[in-house]
Formats: sequence, structure tokens, C-alpha cells
Amino acid sequence: MLSFSLRRILSAVLVLFAISIAVFLIFFATPGVDPAARIAGRSASPATLAHVRAAFGLNRPIFIRYLLMMDHLFIKRDLTSYVNVGLKVVPQVLKAAPITLALVSGAAVIWLVVGIFGGIIAAANRGKFIDPLVMFIGIAAVSVPAYWLGEVVNLITQSRLHSSLFSWVPSGGYTPFTQNPWQWALHLLFPWLTLAALYAGIYARVLRAELVNAMNEDYVRTARAKGLSERRILIRHALRCSLVSIVSLFGLDFGALIGGAALLTEVVFGLQGVGMLTYTALQNLDLPVIMACVLYGSFFVVLANAVVDILYAFLDPRVRVA
Amino acid sequence: MLKFKSTRKLGVVTSALALTMTGLAGFSASPAGASSYQKAHAGGTLTLLASTAGGTLDPQVNYTLEYWQLYQATYDGLVTFQKVNGPASFTVVPDLATALPKVTNGGKTYTFTLRKGIKFSNGQTVTVNDVKASFIRLFKVSNPNSGSWYNAIAGGDACVATPASCTLSGLTVNAATNTVTFNLAKVDPEFIDQLAVPFAAIIPASTPTKDEGSSPVPGTGAYTFKSYNPNSSLVMVRNPYFKVWNAKAQPQGYPNKIVENFGSTVESEVTAVENGQADWVFDPLPSDRLGEISTKYASQLRVHQLTADWYVPMNTNIAPFNNLKARQAVNYAINKNNIVKLYGGSKLANPTCTILPKGFPGHTNYCGYTKGGGSSYNGPDMAKAKALVAASGTKGAVVKLVATNDAVNAAVAQYIVSVLNQIGYKASVVLQSANIQFNYIQNTNNKVQISLTQWYQDYPAPSDFINILLGCSTFHPGSDNSINIAGFCNAGIDAQIKAAETLTITNPTAANAKWGQIDKTLMAKYAPWVPLINPKLTDFVSSRVGNYKFSLEFYMYVDQLWVK
Amino acid sequence: MGALGVLIFIVLICLCAPLYAHYWAHVNPFSSNISGRIFINGHWRSVIQSNSTGYGESPIGPTWHINNYFLGADSQGRDVFARLLYGGRDSLLIGTASALICVFFATISGLAAGYFGGVIDWIVSRMLDITWAFPVYLLAISLSVILVTAGFSVGPIHVQAGSLLLPIIIIALIYVPYVARPLRGIVMTLKEREFIQAAIGSGASDWRILRKEILPNVAPSIIVFFPLMVAFNMLTESALSFLGVGVQPPNASWGTIINDGLELLYTRPWVAMAPGLMIVITAGALNLLGDGFRDAFDPKAKLRGSI
Repeated sequence: MLSFSLRRILSAVLVLFAISIAVFLIFFATPGVDPAARIAGRSASPATLAHVRAAFGLNRPIFIRYLLMMDHLFIKRDLTSYVNVGLKVVPQVLKAAPITLALVSGAAVIWLVVGIFGGIIAAANRGKFIDPLVMFIGIAAVSVPAYWLGEVVNLITQSRLHSSLFSWVPSGGYTPFTQNPWQWALHLLFPWLTLAALYAGIYARVLRAELVNAMNEDYVRTARAKGLSERRILIRHALRCSLVSIVSLFGLDFGALIGGAALLTEVVFGLQGVGMLTYTALQNLDLPVIMACVLYGSFFVVLANAVVDILYAFLDPRVRVA
Repeated sequence: MLKFKSTRKLGVVTSALALTMTGLAGFSASPAGASSYQKAHAGGTLTLLASTAGGTLDPQVNYTLEYWQLYQATYDGLVTFQKVNGPASFTVVPDLATALPKVTNGGKTYTFTLRKGIKFSNGQTVTVNDVKASFIRLFKVSNPNSGSWYNAIAGGDACVATPASCTLSGLTVNAATNTVTFNLAKVDPEFIDQLAVPFAAIIPASTPTKDEGSSPVPGTGAYTFKSYNPNSSLVMVRNPYFKVWNAKAQPQGYPNKIVENFGSTVESEVTAVENGQADWVFDPLPSDRLGEISTKYASQLRVHQLTADWYVPMNTNIAPFNNLKARQAVNYAINKNNIVKLYGGSKLANPTCTILPKGFPGHTNYCGYTKGGGSSYNGPDMAKAKALVAASGTKGAVVKLVATNDAVNAAVAQYIVSVLNQIGYKASVVLQSANIQFNYIQNTNNKVQISLTQWYQDYPAPSDFINILLGCSTFHPGSDNSINIAGFCNAGIDAQIKAAETLTITNPTAANAKWGQIDKTLMAKYAPWVPLINPKLTDFVSSRVGNYKFSLEFYMYVDQLWVK
Repeated sequence: MGALGVLIFIVLICLCAPLYAHYWAHVNPFSSNISGRIFINGHWRSVIQSNSTGYGESPIGPTWHINNYFLGADSQGRDVFARLLYGGRDSLLIGTASALICVFFATISGLAAGYFGGVIDWIVSRMLDITWAFPVYLLAISLSVILVTAGFSVGPIHVQAGSLLLPIIIIALIYVPYVARPLRGIVMTLKEREFIQAAIGSGASDWRILRKEILPNVAPSIIVFFPLMVAFNMLTESALSFLGVGVQPPNASWGTIINDGLELLYTRPWVAMAPGLMIVITAGALNLLGDGFRDAFDPKAKLRGSI
């Protein structure tokens, strides 16, 4: 078990290392992207440019620059942006992280409740009208582009019905919880609902499928033979087993979202989270910020994968050899 | 040049505004205005909104209008542009110096006397040593224009080459007489303008000689920066050591505190100002809110003509636009009235045919490429355009236009590409982030054939357009900093530019006429650009704001607004 | 069946886009028409009109006349309905082509890794791990930001910066692990089965075993995955185009039209609403189709995310 965990963690570190190299190569191979020119300003003379290049170490061989960047990012922790000169990258990421965390956790609560509830309702009412209805809503939810849904929400709450029904909806942005918890929740309500819609749809569909499979398993038949009620079997036995796959799915999704996958929701609602930070950095080709964000994001994806794998191995010893 | 970090879209003047030769009438010549400070309106917090921060806060490094506007209230140079409403804001007046400099030695020596008793916001007294240190620091922090403006000071070129050992021999100070003397390596008629922009701010000699980034640098203005985080906000408070010495150079401000918040969307910024939760929006107003703002909040909308160009530089060194006829064809084909429409309508921009914007010194009414000819723009001439393309032999050439990806630029670029296709090219558009595009189109290695860009004046001198954008000295092949985007270098024109610059020193009026002539020649004989429009700027302020004043140089005076 | 009907209908009307534009509406959906005028309800009206105050210009709204700016104009004065049909062609093309490429590479890598194991498995798995760990939209945007600026050329292949091939390739590549991983799992289980072991024992070549024994057994899963991937890829394409790094103008896809419409969201909401609805309907139909295939071919097939 221990050796499996160690191997898993080692491979996770290797993956992160490879990603950092990939990002570095992708962005330094880009033509027309000379960070020195942008730092130096708009009509800098070639001599000025050369000095900026030297001052930022941009004239060194590429692998030295990679090492320098990693040194500044992880050891000295004073890596600065190429676009907002002097602005340290690490605090920027740490500042954006709570916003993303607030968005994703709130949405996660909603989608877990709605998704699990929807899945159970559908599975418990198989063959009735309500099952296909729930599944149809689920399909619709997974087919809606999240950013478009966000825009529709904005259109309704900020423009069409803003003077009547939705006059209480604030105009985008973020208020820290510590500053005003009520405003915090108000600002995040629609982003939560928008982000949760897709995942609620996925989870309801997955859970229903798992429950339906589980209801055909041996242990359920045994329970049935004992004369337990269908509802009791569903909740007590089938649900308990099916939740394992929901939990592992949740681990992966939550990790990815914390790492920046909530980008589109953040962009649409003007939330300055990790996804938005990365997106802005990508548009500016601000390599230090891109590097920090991508590594931050990948860290959570890799971590979530590793945790899920190790948990699985813990539960099911056969996996360890694979 | 001064571009906005995120390109501002709108500008200005109501259509009633008649543009005269000196431009920019329409200002009621600041009645009484600047001088009388009205104590009753002092106090309160002014809240400004911008979607993104403007980068480093170091006044000797930052080159964005977003912060140059704020620097007016926090920093002073030896001289400054007069802080009054309207056209007079182009006039240079003494600031930290007691008077405008004595110019001797055939225009090569400038002597200033420093005012006594002025203090920085950290409590230190301003001395001639601070002046010397500030100018040396310009080179040590690699100021963007240290190699193109300030190297005019004797010893400046050596400082550009090796900033570490910079001593700037051309700048001598005398603590006993409190004088500062600049010796220039060559005559430079614009040197005084260059001393009046924020780069030449005087800051304490103790300031570290590196880009200070987000840590505030002390200054002498009425306000001082208290804190700055590019991801959340910038806070300005009153400078406790400030006393008015010349209200036209650095007036007392009204709000006790000025906060600029970053990070929300433009849509929500507009809503916040409409609701009175904030006082001003830095970003261009979204086009689908203009109707609403101009009807419901008309009294809160201010419009001003800018001395700026939206233009299409064509690379005169590579096909197909190394062919004069091809460049002229594009000039005939683009309907500038459509560009005005895309920009927001005739109240927000004017079509232009010249390099020097309307209202700028040297501007002449001339329009070489329009239907029926004449001195003003009358729409495109597609027949002539198509004939010229055919005659040039460039028909069917593959053309890529590079533009920025914000809404207005992307729309204008798509329209131009559509026109290029109509006159016989195989055109397509490449959209890039504004932060990348401006350098990308300059570098000859990227082989950009045609692009869409803007130029906002640094100071009111024709050479800031003609010499900088079309002179040989700013064309650097293979460099990202080659602001002569058309790659246009013509010995004849360059000689005329030199002559006009020399003439500026002795006879500015005759020089302006000469600049106008060069402008005309450039367009008629070489057509390196398609000048599109002169934009106007729209400011949207909250209903409680009073005392709105506008500088043609640095736009709205933030510190002069009343919130009480 | 209903889903298949809806899909076929959408594909057909999108394929008819040129017919509609040229012979019915007489518009060029790729050319700006800023100073154009149209005849509607007995009046000539400008396609782009000044606001009453003179500040700002608005394109004409929906006319609800099927032959003339049915859904109004965008800010370039182009017919939104005609662009919607053309956009559908590109969206469907990108979704389908990228799904094909994705499934092709995923099948090769999944089969190779699962069947051969050892070093090949290790290399393939690590490459999949890396792609997987890169947050999906960030990877797509990174690649797009770079390629959309410069295009790329590898050896004799040159892809122009604005080419539709770019989004197709980018989207195909980022989703390879989503399909390859489950396939690898299936192959590993299959390999333990007696009939494969027997085939190996009988000395059949690897190629033959892969082709004759393994592939037919993973085919049902691939068939199930395919419509789901098309839906997934369409959504991704629209998101990239929405962010400005997908399909480049003047080409249209549903995502780029939504992006165009954002500028006009409050005054001309139909420009952004219509393509969004088309995406929802098409992706919904594809998902339903995927469900149908799953029930028919392979009830246990699961993509990553178990969708």
C-alpha cells in the first residue's frame, strides 16, 4: 500500500515537472512574443531594450531561464509578472484562489444536493413519467454551454427584469466573505447556480445509472429476499455502493474546478478567480503568471487523481498491481 | 504616443463643437476657473473604476494614459502642462522651477531655478540633487523613451549604452544658487515638452534605481499614492506636506481620498456609476449601453475631441503594399464613414485624411483619396480603387491584416478585410491581444503587411506624429520597438522633417505650415497609411460629481472633481 | 429516434446555408454591410441605425421575415440567420472531425497501451497523464493563443493561422485521454480473457489479434463514445470561439456568433440567444443519441466523467 502510494505520488510529481517544461517551451517558442519589448515600453530604443533583456535574464540560454523561473517561483517565491512589472505572482495566485474556492464549493453543495436527489428520484421511479423527465432535464443541463447560460442569466437579471423581479441582484464582481457575508452570497448566487447546472445534470445521470445497475446486483436480491421494502433497499444498500463512484467523480471534478476549470463562469460573471487570472495572463502572454497558474491548476488535478487512485487502491487491493 | 492599455473607444466633443485651426474651441475658455479654490466642496471619497490596472506605478516607467492622468495630481516636473480647462492645457508653465528656462547657447542650454521649500510626501525637502538623481534614474530604470527623448541631454547616449555607470554630464546642478542646467548634445525643440510629461517627474534621490513596480514612489503633488494592488485597487490620499505654490501647475484638489478599483466588467462599472455607487468609468463605454446612457444620463456624459489617429499602416517594404498604387487603392476603397459608424457614430469620431489630427498644430484640410476629390472626406471611390489594384498588378495577392481583439478594433478590422476582398485581394484578419499586437506589428520579422492601430499624442508637436511614426530614425528592422510601422524611410522626407524641426525653434508658425506641407506630401506621393478617424473621448461620471475639467494633454482632472 | 430526426434536420438545414444565402435571402454572410439598406414592411431601412441621441449605432433587430434578416443583423450589418446556418456547418464540422480524430488517436494509443503493456504502456500512460493533468480549457486556450497568432508548419504541412483545422486538431488532442483511458482499461481486461490468450498461444501476430479479436470487442464502446464526443467537442469549440481563440473571423461558428452577440446582448439579444439555443438542441440530441447507442451496444461503456 505504502509503496503504491509512493509510486503514485512520484508519478504525479513527474507529470507536474513535464507540464512545467511543456508550458515553458510552448510560450518561448511563440514568434512575436518578446517580453522585454513590452516591459521596455512603446518607443524604447534598441539599447534600452537590450538592458531590459539583460536585467530580466531574458538573454540567457533557455534552460537557464527555465531554472531561474523555477527558482523564483518555488524557492525564492518572488517571481514577478512580465506585464505588471514588480507585481509578485505567488500572492496574486493566492489572492485569486479563495474566490475560485468560494465559487466552486458553493456550486458543489448545490450540484451534489440536486444531482443526488435527482438521481435517486429517477431511479426510484423507473418506468414512470418522472424518470425520463428528470433524465431529460439532466441531458439539457449537460448540453448547455455554461458561459451562454451565464450570459442568459445576466441578460435576465441585469437587463430585462432588473428593474422589477431581480433588482436585488448586484452587478457582478466579488465581495469577500469577511467584508460582508450577505453580499458575498448575493454576488455568488447566480454564478453558483450557473456552474452547478452542468454538474447536477452529470451527477443525476451517473447516479441513476449506478443505482439501476446496483439494483440488479446479488446483494440487492438478497436484501429483497429478506423482504425489505424497495425504497429501503435503494437508500440503504444500493445508494451506499453507488455513492463510491460519485465520490471519486466528485474528487476529480472538484480538483479540476479549483484548478481553474471554472474559467468560463468566472469570465462571464467578472469573478477574478484563478481561471480568470490564467485567462488574462494567456491573453497577455504573461509567462510567469501562466506558469504559476497552470502549475497551480495541474497540481489540483494531479492531486485529485492521486487521492482518488490511492483511495481506490485502499478499498480494492487488486488495483495496486495494475 | 500614449496608447491606452485597453484601447479606449470613445471620445468627445458634441457635434456642435466647431473645430478651428487651433482646434478645440467649445471650451468656454475656463471662466475664472482654475484659480479660486472653493473650500465648501472639499472632502469626501472619489471612486473611479477601471477593468484592469495600468501596470507599474513607477512614474519614470509607466507609459499608460490610465496612470498619466492620475500622476497629474501626485507628481511634478520642473515644468508642466498648465492645469486648466480646454486648449490652454497645451501650454507649458513652470512647476517646480520658478520660471520657464532661460534657453541659451543656440537652443542647447536650458537653465532652471528650483523653487525653495517644496517638500515630498515623505517630508524631505526637494533639492537640486533630487533633480539630478531623478534624471539619472530615468536611464537606470530603462525609461521607455530614455533612448529616444532624454538622450538629447549631453552624456545621455552613454547612459543609454551603460546605465550602471550613468553620470549624465550634460545635467549640472548648483546647490548654492539652486539652479539646474541642461546641456543638450543637439538642438531639440521638443525638449521642454518632454520635461513636462510624468517621465520627468522629480522624485527623492533616495528612490531605488529599479522599477518600483507596485510600491508607491513619493512625489510633490497635492496627493500621494497610499497603496496599490493591480488586482484590486489604487488609493490616493492628500499629501500632508503639500502647499499650493502655483495653482496653474499644481492646484489644491477636492476629494480627501481617491480610490481606483480594478477588476469588474465594463458593464457592471457602467451600472455602478448609473446607481451612484462609483463616480467615473475609465474604460470605453460598451456600445449597447450608449443609447441608454445618452438618453437617461445625458447630463453625466462628457465628450471631448482627442488629438489622436486611428490608422492603417501599410508595410511599404513588402508585397503587395510596397506598390504605391496598391496603397492608394486601399485609401480610396475604405469608407471612413463606416469606420465612424463602427466607432459609435458621428458624435464620437470624425473621418480624417491626414496624418496630423484635426485641431493639432500643423493640420491642414486636405483629402487626397475620396470621391470627387476636394479638401474634405466625401466617401470612398471603389471604381478608382479597383482600377488602381488592377494597374498595380497586385490583384489576387494574399493579405493578412493584424488587429487587436477588443470589440471595436475587431469590428473595424473585419470591415477593412471585407473591403480588401472587394477590391481584389485575398484578405483575412489576425486578431491578437492588445498587449501583444502593438509590438508584433512593429517587428519586421513578423512580416506584417497591413495592420490597424492608434496613436495618441504625447505632447502637442507635429513631430510627435510625423517624425516618430514616419521618420527613418524610428525604423529599426528586426526590433519589436520600431514604431515606424509602415517601415517608411525616405531621404527627401527625412530632410524636410529635419528642416521643419530646426525651423520650429525660430519660427513655430512657419514650421507648422511646413509640417502641414510634409503631411500632404506624405499622403499624396507616398500614402504609407490610411488615416481613418480622429476619435473623441466620452467620460461618464456619477450624478453627484461637479467641477468637471478637461485637459487635452492628460484628460479629465481627477483631483478637481467635487464629490461634495 | 426523435433525437436522430432532430440531428438530421439540423445537419440538413445547415448544409443548405449557401442555398438560403444566395437564392433566398440574397446576402453575403461573410461580407460587411455597414452602410447597406433593406426593404422591409414597405420601407427602406438602414441595416445599421444611429441611436436617437446620436451616440452609438445599433444593427437592425429581428424582422421575423424569413427571406430578409430574419434574426436581424450583427454589428457588421451581416444577416444573423444566414450566419447561423453557416455557423452550424462549421460547428458540426469541427465537432465531428475532431471527434473522429480524437477517437482515432485514442483507439490507437488505448489499444497499444492496453495490449502491449510494458514500456509502451508506460510511455503512452504518462503522455495521457500529462495531457489529462493540464486543465482542459487552459490547455486548449494555450495552444489556441499560440497557433491562432502564428499558424504552424511541421515539415511539408502548413496550416494558416485562421484555418478551421486548428480548432479541430486542438480539440481532438486535448480529449484523447478521455477516450483512451477507458479503452486501455477495456483492452487490459480483454487481454486476460481466454479467447485472447488462446489466440496469443496459437502464435497469431499481434496485428492480427488486435484487428480480429480486440478491435471488434472495443468497437461497441467506441460507437457509444462517438456521439458523446461530438457533443463534447462542439461545446468546447463554442467555448473557445466565445473566448476568441477558436474559429477566426470572418468564418462563423455558433460560438463566434455568441461572441459577436455579447456586444449587443442588452439591445439585440437574439444575436447571442439563437446560436446558444442551436448548441443546446444539437448537443442535447447527440447526448440522447449516445444514450440510445449505450443501451443498444454497451450498457457499461463510460467516458471519463462517466457521462
